Amino acid sequence: MKKRNYTLIFILMILVLMGLALASLAMGSADISPGEIISSLTSSEDDYYSKILITIRMPRILAAIILGGALAVSGFLLQIFFGNPIAGPYVLGISSGAKLFVALLMVFLLGKGIYINSLGMVFAAFLGSLLAMGAVLLMSQKVRNMSLLIVCGVMIGYICSAITEFVVTFAEDSNIVNLHNWSLGSFSGISSGQVMFSFVLVTITVIVSFFMSKPIGAYQLGEAYARNMGVNVKVLRGILILLSSLLSATVTAFAGPISFVGIAVPHIMRSLFKTAKPIVMIPACFIGGGIITLACDDVARTAFAPTEMSISAVTALFLAPVVIYLLIKRKEMQRG
Amino acid sequence: MDKKIKLEELSVGYDTPVVSNLSFSVEPGEIYALIGPNGAGKSTVLKTITRQLNRINGKIYISNEDESQMSEESIAKVISMVMTERIHPELMTCFDIVATGRYPYTGALGLLKEEDKAKVLESIHLVGAEAVLDKDFSKISDGQRQRVMLARAICQEPEIMILDEPTSFLDVQYKLDLLALIKRLSKERNIAVIMSIHELEFVPAIADKVVAVDGNRQVFVGTPDEIITGENMEKLYHMKPGTGEILVEGLMAYSKNIESLI
Repeated sequence: MKKRNYTLIFILMILVLMGLALASLAMGSADISPGEIISSLTSSEDDYYSKILITIRMPRILAAIILGGALAVSGFLLQIFFGNPIAGPYVLGISSGAKLFVALLMVFLLGKGIYINSLGMVFAAFLGSLLAMGAVLLMSQKVRNMSLLIVCGVMIGYICSAITEFVVTFAEDSNIVNLHNWSLGSFSGISSGQVMFSFVLVTITVIVSFFMSKPIGAYQLGEAYARNMGVNVKVLRGILILLSSLLSATVTAFAGPISFVGIAVPHIMRSLFKTAKPIVMIPACFIGGGIITLACDDVARTAFAPTEMSISAVTALFLAPVVIYLLIKRKEMQRG
Repeated sequence: MDKKIKLEELSVGYDTPVVSNLSFSVEPGEIYALIGPNGAGKSTVLKTITRQLNRINGKIYISNEDESQMSEESIAKVISMVMTERIHPELMTCFDIVATGRYPYTGALGLLKEEDKAKVLESIHLVGAEAVLDKDFSKISDGQRQRVMLARAICQEPEIMILDEPTSFLDVQYKLDLLALIKRLSKERNIAVIMSIHELEFVPAIADKVVAVDGNRQVFVGTPDEIITGENMEKLYHMKPGTGEILVEGLMAYSKNIESLI
């Protein structure tokens, strides 16, 4: 595909994202029309609507975009790492590892009445991600078959989730209610501070990933050829693990585990752009992840309003079929 | 003449050596064929030269420079390779695959400049793969794929090319075409080639020298006529006494005919 076409798709995607963000501002239990949005955002008065928009809806929309984008890029990097389009932070149990560590830290510190800041949460999640990733890597040395490895990842996810459930159930604190919502995956109640923090962290990580496009592209031809092109494969593998874990850890720290965005979005983007080149895919996954996650979050909060669904329930409903399709297509290719 | 690549008492293997005391050197424009039975360590030797495996012992010199002291980037500008393992790139055209050969020469983001694109097209033209230029690499035939991989190796502008059984999986016409191509490229561009090959009948026609490894750490180096003898074949391939002579007689007659085709 020509460069011009890439640019065109990017422009369209950005327009869709902006349109969706504006529409999302209008959606919700309090009915606010587009006209009212503009007037309350432009006026300096601190009215009821602007309060809802600025303190509740805006951070949530931004969080869905930033963290959804982060998740998709994390998935793309993992897919490069494993040389397989069915890898992602959720199915490999990496999100659940992060969830477990955040839950442990929260329960432990809340029990002592200590407030945890964003940095602490992300750090705990990052540690959990790395540990789960370590377990997956250990297994990947024994299990060469990717489908089996994913089953192992799902099992790691179950184990981590089970321990998290124990911790949450037996912890005595009123804040646990919050923890319970979070452990299912939700953008609700995210603060502007947390949004700002994740914006900075995710932006830096995605930009670093973008500038790694060249060696990542070489790695797509396999380890041997990458090395022959002059890539330090060991260093690259380490960087891929760190970047993807940091991205999925940031997401889990603030929104809990979100299913299937990491696998499905890179696949959708590859089909849309008809390329797997990292220099196109990294920005594409980020914007595409933002669009899809925001759309899913809109469904989560408005479909049965005022009752909210967990974001993972919605993403699973829409994106798990994409994963099933990928598994079947892969099997067919192996036979063919 | 200067030695492009020189192996000095090289021992290679995973834990224990498979091939020991391997010494030979290749000049620009020369082709060395690496032969031996399955599992004798041909691929292991080639993987060690391309630094995918660590050496157990010995030294490799590239234009008199110790390879272990060279950076990944500087090696990439000198050595290119075609491996036996098939690659499964996703959504990459043959042009994209060949273009990865420009990696050592492009900037931080790996974007191709006009001269890089020209070099890619030139390499594709050299191997005669224009027809598949825009085709998906995973959807072309094995023979075309090997040509594209060879174009990729050429595009890297190497002084040394390492080819691991480049003719495997190909039908006879593709084998002949590919070998003719390798020979022509090596002579025209002064590239030192080390290639492993199973088909002994092609060796005299393509190789200047032969390196035979037997899996018991024995190594023979010499011209095709010196190495491909009945006695050596019996030793190398554990053949029954007397059968080596018959094999070599047939091989040599066949290879004389082939020489005009390559």
